[in-house]
Amino acid sequence: MLRIEGLSVSYGAVEALKDVSLEVPPGRVTAVIGANGAGKSTLMRTLAGLEKPKSGRVLFNEEDITGGKPEDIVRKGIALVPEGRSTIPDLTVEENLKLGGMWRTHAQRGTSLTRVYSLFPVLGERRHLGADTLSGGERQQLAIGRALMTGPQALLLDEPSLGLAPLIVTQILELVSQMAKDSGLAVLLVEQNAATALRVAKTGIVLNLGQIVKSGPAHDIAQDEELRHAYLGY
Amino acid sequence: MIDFIDYLLGGVSSGAIIALMALALVLVWRSTRVVNFAQIGQAMFTTYVALTIRELTGSWFLALIVAMAAGLVLGVLVHFLVIRPVKRLDTSGAIIATFGVLIALEALAAMVWGGDPEAFPPPIENAGYELFGRIWPFSPYDLLVLVSVVILVLALSVVFTRTNVGLAMRASAFNPEVARLSGVRVNRMLVLGWAIAGLVGAVAGVLVAPLSTLSPTSFDIFLVFAFTAAVIGGLDSLVGAVAFGIGTGLVIALVSGYSDSSNAPLVALALLILNLLFKPEGVFSHHKARAV
Amino acid sequence: MDSILQRFSGARLGVNAATALVIWGLLTWLNQVIDPLMSYYLATTAMYATAMFGMTILLGLSGQVSLGNGALMAIGGYIFAVTSMNWQTVPLLGTPWNAVWSMVFAGVGGVVFGAAIGGIAARLRGPYLAGLTLGIAVGVPAIANRFPGLLGGENGLMLQVPYPEGGYASQDVGSEEETEESSEIGVGDEPVYEELPDEFADQGEQSGVDDMLTEDDFLSEDDMLTEDDFLSEDDMLTEDDFLSDEDFSTDEGFDTELVEEDLLTDDDFLSEEDFTTDEGFEASVDAGAETQNGGDAGGGNEFVGGTDPAAELDPAGLDSEFVIEQWQASVAIAVACVVGFVALNLVRGRQGRVWEAVRDDPIAAAVSGISPAGSKISAFVVSSLFAALAGAVFAQILSYVGPGAFTLGLSLSLLVGVVLGGRNSFIGAIIGAVILVWLPEFVLGLSADRGWQDQITNNAPNFIYGLLVVLVVLVAPGGIVGGIQGLVGRFRSDSRTG
Ligand SMILES: Nc1ncnc2c1ncn2[C@@H]1O[C@H](COP(=O)(O)OP(=O)(O)O)[C@@H](O)[C@H]1O
Ligand SMILES: [Mg+2]
Repeated sequence: MLRIEGLSVSYGAVEALKDVSLEVPPGRVTAVIGANGAGKSTLMRTLAGLEKPKSGRVLFNEEDITGGKPEDIVRKGIALVPEGRSTIPDLTVEENLKLGGMWRTHAQRGTSLTRVYSLFPVLGERRHLGADTLSGGERQQLAIGRALMTGPQALLLDEPSLGLAPLIVTQILELVSQMAKDSGLAVLLVEQNAATALRVAKTGIVLNLGQIVKSGPAHDIAQDEELRHAYLGY
Repeated sequence: MIDFIDYLLGGVSSGAIIALMALALVLVWRSTRVVNFAQIGQAMFTTYVALTIRELTGSWFLALIVAMAAGLVLGVLVHFLVIRPVKRLDTSGAIIATFGVLIALEALAAMVWGGDPEAFPPPIENAGYELFGRIWPFSPYDLLVLVSVVILVLALSVVFTRTNVGLAMRASAFNPEVARLSGVRVNRMLVLGWAIAGLVGAVAGVLVAPLSTLSPTSFDIFLVFAFTAAVIGGLDSLVGAVAFGIGTGLVIALVSGYSDSSNAPLVALALLILNLLFKPEGVFSHHKARAV
Repeated sequence: MDSILQRFSGARLGVNAATALVIWGLLTWLNQVIDPLMSYYLATTAMYATAMFGMTILLGLSGQVSLGNGALMAIGGYIFAVTSMNWQTVPLLGTPWNAVWSMVFAGVGGVVFGAAIGGIAARLRGPYLAGLTLGIAVGVPAIANRFPGLLGGENGLMLQVPYPEGGYASQDVGSEEETEESSEIGVGDEPVYEELPDEFADQGEQSGVDDMLTEDDFLSEDDMLTEDDFLSEDDMLTEDDFLSDEDFSTDEGFDTELVEEDLLTDDDFLSEEDFTTDEGFEASVDAGAETQNGGDAGGGNEFVGGTDPAAELDPAGLDSEFVIEQWQASVAIAVACVVGFVALNLVRGRQGRVWEAVRDDPIAAAVSGISPAGSKISAFVVSSLFAALAGAVFAQILSYVGPGAFTLGLSLSLLVGVVLGGRNSFIGAIIGAVILVWLPEFVLGLSADRGWQDQITNNAPNFIYGLLVVLVVLVAPGGIVGGIQGLVGRFRSDSRTG
């Protein structure tokens, strides 16, 4: 569904991604793991259109979307939940959600909203409160909910575990993996926290200094002790 | 005591107009992080347009509508021709550019309409109401100003809080990246912010003209008042701009009443300095963005 | 290392002094050979340049957009006017007052206000600073309205050029309406001129205009602020050798060209004592009575002396012609050169690097031990000092101070000039000053050819300024100087590579 071919991205002289190729199939979670500074966020931001690649291509349903604007890419069906709490504290919970997918029909948005509230009941309870009143885990749910409101075929999650308690992380990730299975969503999950990510993912990809050093079934990567020592630090 | 009430009443309509002008500054600031010092020049220019329309047709209302349209167009033009190209450079460049626009607009107005002050008579009676055997410093025209401002502010608040476009504009102001990732065409929202600001400023200009005179530079002082109000309100806050716009107008009216109207700019300056010294982030702002 | 640095900075001082001196010499010579109208342009240009050197430091080096410099010019101008009209002796020192002291006090006022504004400004970022200084530009000149007695209110104060010795006098601008207004408010019921010594007032009233405005009063070196006074003032300027008496009066040198020299010397300057004693005053009046009436009403600004008392005092006296514009220009040029010299030394020295460091990266500068706030304040103080001195010069050029002279438009002009010329160099400031003075004349010429309406002619320059400012910000942020440097740089690298 989402295919990346030979992608390279630089910030000035810093080469953040070098010739990265990978595929994100529908209906399951693909995890990209790697240490801090490996280039994971750069990969996600480039897919979403926030950074322009130096070379390489991004294909979505066989359509070349390389270098597209974020607001166009999200309309095609790729939604990014960026790193950090990507909610807007000045808006209410429901306004944060309604921000996603404004171009869609009223009916589509209504359906999505109902679905988000059923996935994350706490958001429904707090719909009229300011987003700044939410806890960290609730905000992450809100951020994912906002992305789901755009009706995506591919969901990009950049370190959703950041700063959250392990139990909440597990809950959220299981939910996402369930969603992928149920609705054929393609999920690209980026994590520094490799163990958790590999538990829910089908495929694992290890990124180091902007290059893919290993990819394969998540189970195998989780077992590979050498890899863990060399790149994941545990 | 009756003086106090008189002075306050006398400040209501100018406070309401300052609120509009401050609102225009805030709208632009929220959309592009630029204080549009040319805003008052745009308002002055569209008020001259209104004067011309009024002289041609005799209709104040038509003049107001045309001025609003002109303000909208002018706001969009300034945004496209000046701010968008310059914004990527430095902030001081953007500030200087808005002053360049101000200078050019004031000169252009003087070239087209002449530099001498023109009378812009109120469309209705501007003598105070008589009630309880005395004349109050609040006239039918003051009432018209107040009603116009209230209608405009209410309309804006409905747009901002109840519509998708308003939500998109607010989101674009608070976090453009998240807005774009949500599918909002943020650039269009910026243009819209400039357009609405231009419109609001145009209304302020037409309303204020009968209270002062109309000359290319006669509104300059309102820029200082409006900037003061907007900054005290937090520069980000629409509510703050309105509240402190009216507040600034009232304080100025009181001080002018008890001393002399030539003190008004000094009062505004003092308010601004006090605010910047003691509450630099503004009263309604969410951000602590002002320090070096 | 230290000694090398010291020697280097000594050499730099010498180079800067030589630069300033050469420019001063050239301009002074120019001032002698051009007609009075050109001298007036020269004076105005030098005045703008003086203020804009400060803008270069504030905007170019320190990166702060300020519109307050017009207000600081007002402060300098008003201090100059008020002190020279009201003070006969220097407080504490007791020495006779003269216009140099007025300049010094104007400068001190600029420093004080600059420090105050800078103290607030240092805490502010771009648009807040611009807005605050906008308020200052609009608000400060309005202060004059609060003190109609002292500051002349809306009408301002006329500086009468034939002033009683030691300073300028106020012309009677206190119209009846004005006086009423002031008594209403209870400040300064009496017009300023009445505070002058009684003898003067009496004499003046009795003798009438003819006797009061004598040519002698206007033109003679006795009454005038002298060039020497300005330039040899040690406490104001560090390099007294730059403009010392010796430089002036040696036979070699400028002697033959420098007309002021024989007109305006220290010796000829009447002291305060002369003035306050009956003798001195009468002598002065007598001298005035002997000469013909200057008649400023219809005769324009050029006065040709009939008798020349200076000839007795100064055997080298060559020329008896005194042109007020020439004198104004010589004051403006001298101040501009001294300010330019000080500015060059600051910018090319440590302080310049400090300002740039803070502008480019305040955090890095703070880490390396520079106080960003201190740096910004010092830039404000220096630019305010320059602005105040320029304001004092402006007051002399106009012979007037008033809210109408120090408008927001003046502040905007300074911004326009420095942005167009090039905000990063003093050459840019000078080019900007020339543009400010030249463009309106150029447009006037065009309009005469094509018969434009007045309202077009008068406002076209500002329209052009506004458009040019936007254009410069968009395509050449370095202004004319930056643009030329860019072209030269590209040409050089082109010829090197290809
Ligand atoms: N905006 C930026 N400007 C310059 N360099 C950046 C920027 N963002 C990231 N980098 C650099 O790119 C590399 C990859 O960063 P990132 O993609 O954020 O890594 P990760 O998300 O895996 O921690 C790092 O070396 C980082 O310093
Ligand atoms: Mg990251």
